[in-house]
Amino acid sequence: MDWERPPHRGQGPGGVPELEEFIRQLKLRYKIPSMPKGPFWLLGPLFALALVAFNCFYTVQPQETAVVQRFGAFIFTASPGWHLKLPFGIDTVTKVATGRALQREYGYRTVRADIKSQFSEKGYEEQSAMLSGDLNVVNLHWAVQYMIENPQDYLFQVKQVEDTLDDISESVMRRIVGNRYADEVLTIGRAAVAQLARDEMQTILNSYKTGLKIITVKLQNVNPPDPVKAAFNEVNEARQEKERMINEAQQVYNQKIPKAMGEARQLVTQAEGYGLERINRSQGDASRFSEIREAYSKAPDVTRRRMYLESFGTFLERVDRLIVIDEQQKNLLPFLDVGRGAQSGISSGRADVPIPPQAPKSPGQEGR
Amino acid sequence: MPMKFRIILIGSIVFLVFLSSCLYVVDETQQVVITQLGKPVGKPVTTSGLNFKWPVIQKANYFEKRVMKWDGSPNQIPTRDKKYIWVDTTARWRIVDPLLFLMRVGNEQTANSRLDGIIDSVVRDHVSDNDLVELVRSEGWEMAKQTLQEVGIPDMPSLEPNADSPGGVEPSDHLSKGREVITREMVADASRLLPEFGIHLLDLRIKRIKFVDSVQQKVYERMISERKRIASQYRSEGEGERAATLGRMEKELARINSEAFRKSQEIRGKADAEATRIYADAFGKNTEFFEFYRTMEFYREFNNPRSSFVLTTEADVFKYLKGSGEPRQK
Repeated sequence: MDWERPPHRGQGPGGVPELEEFIRQLKLRYKIPSMPKGPFWLLGPLFALALVAFNCFYTVQPQETAVVQRFGAFIFTASPGWHLKLPFGIDTVTKVATGRALQREYGYRTVRADIKSQFSEKGYEEQSAMLSGDLNVVNLHWAVQYMIENPQDYLFQVKQVEDTLDDISESVMRRIVGNRYADEVLTIGRAAVAQLARDEMQTILNSYKTGLKIITVKLQNVNPPDPVKAAFNEVNEARQEKERMINEAQQVYNQKIPKAMGEARQLVTQAEGYGLERINRSQGDASRFSEIREAYSKAPDVTRRRMYLESFGTFLERVDRLIVIDEQQKNLLPFLDVGRGAQSGISSGRADVPIPPQAPKSPGQEGR
Repeated sequence: MPMKFRIILIGSIVFLVFLSSCLYVVDETQQVVITQLGKPVGKPVTTSGLNFKWPVIQKANYFEKRVMKWDGSPNQIPTRDKKYIWVDTTARWRIVDPLLFLMRVGNEQTANSRLDGIIDSVVRDHVSDNDLVELVRSEGWEMAKQTLQEVGIPDMPSLEPNADSPGGVEPSDHLSKGREVITREMVADASRLLPEFGIHLLDLRIKRIKFVDSVQQKVYERMISERKRIASQYRSEGEGERAATLGRMEKELARINSEAFRKSQEIRGKADAEATRIYADAFGKNTEFFEFYRTMEFYREFNNPRSSFVLTTEADVFKYLKGSGEPRQK
């Protein structure tokens, strides 16, 4: 007789006759025997009592805090240990892991946490890609470590606390990266970005009363996007190349300059040697000449003659041929064919060989 | 006894059921509007705990008291400078007036779809009313470059000129609003429409901004060409440094060599001059004898084994060859 029931759900007084009827039918169907005699009837109440007893206490683990509500209203938080409560939904206990440091990861996930953890980046590119202030794309992986500081706020103030944290984390990180040059984020800006993100996230979380406390924000990998990575590496290579070129040039420089300086010293020293030799020789020559001149001046004629003849003698020894002709003989040609053919010394058939008639007075070399 | 027991049992069950229908529990996370045959009665119950109502005729309507999340689906919106981007926004809201909420909206699902409509259009308005850089950058951007230059990023000097490439940096670094201001404006605009739903918008944030794929590709290309430019700059700097060093080396070499040559010539010249002076001193005392002496020396030192000479008897040495050996007069 459903149409007789009030339109709203829930039990009203109208349900009572039905209930009685229901119990009666149950009894008929299963033929429940009437209460057995003796102490057996106590079993039911005992069972009920045990149920009540078990419903009257709860334990809180060391890392947890329990939030106790009576008829939905918050009454107190309970610290770890063994506690009593009112049974059957009068008191409800929610345990919150306040002692644990929790972590959310963005742009990657830890697949298997171990001594050597494994990470996966696949499928989280959307989360990690962000625009920098100079409109470049940077892939940023970061993790937020947090703990539940205020379990009461955590439970009662915001509906999806973890989702809220995610949203805040992403929007804050993107704002910060969007306010910086990609190069800063990729290189020196990491620590500053992390610190700023932590502070800003905490402020927003506080304004929502999430009851969360950010411990740290850690930037993991900060990379240029994959298609661009090669170009970034090229820059590093080019930087190395530049250093290499400079070093190479310096090497050539270092090879050549000291050598040249040594050679220069050699040149100068050689010149000095030459100078010393020149002076010494000239002094030697000069003193020799002076000696001879002195001796000569004592008997000029004889000495002159002797010197001339001696010199001529030596001269003859070093000469291949010497032809002496009569002073009246004008034609030299017949003599030239004597012995071998034409020799050096007389190259043409010229009749007059320029022999100075006064050989002793022929000019000598310049003073060298 | 069993009959009496049964009556008590049934009676107490009936009583409990009756009691439970006039009691209701309000959780910390909930707020309740009591309706009497569909008509809201009294003020909304926002304090948690056990409350009374009339059974049957009064009904407790539960609403969320906590802050709730609204998550928009990403929208492709052109910015004022005609750049197509995906904008993903998220918002926090709560029911501030459950009575109004009950009347105008009813449940959270409907609320979310109302929010979809309102927030999406507000976001669209503001995104297409602003340049992309305004949405990306925020307060303090003007400082970013300065701090960067102070710290001295190695690639920084090469990053400077970059204007007309796709998605390129605007020539001016001036920021008129910035992301924070724009989001604040969005919140203000959206909030204007929401009170009539009993909803309060706490916050609206741009979660992600992403170029549409075709633009993204161009951005990558630009980044690559930018890096390539920096790389080639490094290379040419290296080559330049090398050339400079080698040039300096050439100069140094020339200096060293020429200096050495000059010095050696000076030394030689001085020595030559000294020698000349010594010779002149010595030989100048008897020029005639010097001439004779040197000539004799020349004869003595003459050394050419292949040379031939033709002399006449007129020569002094041979003067006796023709004659008789008598002393004769010249």
